Amino acid sequence: MAGRLLALAPTACAVVLVGYAIVAGGYFVALAGFALIYAVFVTGLNIFMGYAGQASFGQNAFAAIGGYVSAVLTTTWDWPTLPALGLGVTGAVACAVLIGWPTLRLRGHYLAMATLAIGLIVYEITVQWQSVTQGYMGISGIPPLGVFGYEAASDRAQLVLLSIVAAACMGSAWLIRNSRFGRALVALSGSEDAARALGIDVTRYKLAAFVLSAGYAAVAGSLFVHVVGFVSPEIFGMNMVVLGFTMLYVGGIGTVTGPLVGAIVINMLPETIRELKDYQDLVYGAALIVILIYAPGGLASLGALWRRPAEPPKPEPRPPVPEVVEAHPSEARP
Amino acid sequence: MPDPAYLVQILVNGLGVGCIYGLIGIGFCVIYNASGIVNFAQGAFVMLGGMAAHVLYTWGLPLPVAGVLAVLMVAALGVVIERLVVRPLWDRNATLFVIILATLAVQIVIERATLILVGDQPKSLPVFTDLPPIRIAGVAVGYQFLWIVGTSLVLIVLLVLFFQRTLVGRAMRACSINREAAALQGIPVSRMLALAFALSAGLGAIAGVLLTPTQFTAFNVGTPFAISGFIAAIVGGFGRPFGAFLGGIALGLAQAIAVVAFGSGLKNVAALSVLLVFLFFRPSGILGTAK
Repeated sequence: MAGRLLALAPTACAVVLVGYAIVAGGYFVALAGFALIYAVFVTGLNIFMGYAGQASFGQNAFAAIGGYVSAVLTTTWDWPTLPALGLGVTGAVACAVLIGWPTLRLRGHYLAMATLAIGLIVYEITVQWQSVTQGYMGISGIPPLGVFGYEAASDRAQLVLLSIVAAACMGSAWLIRNSRFGRALVALSGSEDAARALGIDVTRYKLAAFVLSAGYAAVAGSLFVHVVGFVSPEIFGMNMVVLGFTMLYVGGIGTVTGPLVGAIVINMLPETIRELKDYQDLVYGAALIVILIYAPGGLASLGALWRRPAEPPKPEPRPPVPEVVEAHPSEARP
Repeated sequence: MPDPAYLVQILVNGLGVGCIYGLIGIGFCVIYNASGIVNFAQGAFVMLGGMAAHVLYTWGLPLPVAGVLAVLMVAALGVVIERLVVRPLWDRNATLFVIILATLAVQIVIERATLILVGDQPKSLPVFTDLPPIRIAGVAVGYQFLWIVGTSLVLIVLLVLFFQRTLVGRAMRACSINREAAALQGIPVSRMLALAFALSAGLGAIAGVLLTPTQFTAFNVGTPFAISGFIAAIVGGFGRPFGAFLGGIALGLAQAIAVVAFGSGLKNVAALSVLLVFLFFRPSGILGTAK
């Protein structure tokens, strides 16, 4: 029972913090906003990595597509924000289908590198295609989010809107996890061969998970540019991927609330670290290594940690991380 | 149509860079063969090689001493990374993907630590032989180019001898074929992994030291080199060190041609496209079946 409460504690804290930010206003609102946007991004990552057990290092590509389509349409073409966001997500999803179809036949590190390459290619394009993206200069003056003529101009209104979007994303992730589709993904993350034997069309399900995660990433990218009002290639660089991974592992990979918890912890608690810009990535990188080694289940596995001492001592248990690479000769490990 | 001499010049330059990519690619293969891990921190070794040599050189050490010391230091760092990061994950039976992610985090930690320690200004080293380039029919061949190609070839020969003739090299090959069987033969598999990291880091550092006089080094040059080296390894058929070297040369030439054809801005896009083409259509590399 205590373990169960402890497992819920991080999520409860997250909700309280966002609620407090809406009431209190000020700088806290901006922080909570970023945390929620990242929660959406990491939720997408979680569907592909946590549920389906695949590796994508290129999620920033889809965030960039969503963000840039939104930015260009609303500034250069004066589109309203909602259709711009919609088209950005559609574009990212279309790209994900085109890219995912050949890529997902690859396994393990090949898939990781192909997705990494896609992230880098999109980054290069945002830098080089200056007539549209204005290169490193970036695009400024992007209007804030709005729905049917109502524009969420104030910080608080934006945060409320972001909370709704984030809640919808988390809710849909929960529905996905508990659906036939979600169970199929978890099955294929355990063993592709076994899943295939059970009649799961592995390639199609993997592609669907990839496309879904790209959709979430694009929503996050689009939200980001509307909230900040500015976009440049650096925003969707490699550090976005690493930040996303850190959040996913801090919060707990494969859990529904993990992305939210991770995003909030990484965004809001280490405020003191954020101040020291240079040390920020250093600390995130080091923290990620420590978490991967000592707490691969993240904060969401605190409950399990609580229960562990009661268990009789046994050989080092396998960490609760789904098998990703169809063991190359890993079973031959000493 | 550009002047043929110019074209040859571009190809010569591409060959030099290609050798560097090849060395980095071999580094990937050495660790991959010993463990099945793709070490994303490979680029950090290249950057650190050049950077450490620069720092030691500015402290007043003669260039050869600085270069050798830098390589040894980076090789030692490779072992440290293996012991501190890879081994604990390995012992906990972490999935390969998690280990790959950890090496990516190592890359970032090294990059940021370098930024804090030496700043963001590009650093350089003097060329090894300060003589004007040799001119052959309008094509300039710099001495640094000769150093790069010469050292690469010597290293290749040494590696061949190491893997074919020495007991340790054979033991490493045995591990890459079947770790369990190798362990049963009494080969200390865990020590081989540490050795693979040392060898791979040392190769990366040599590439970095060779390269720094012709291109600047800075805290953030690691990732592009890691990507190029990885592409070289893929093109050569992952896990084949000498295929990786050929792949590196092919990539260097392809990039050089892309610069002439499309302009320098798309150099990286060209390299990444080569990677995607190979991944999609021929993941086993130019030489055939990958391991």
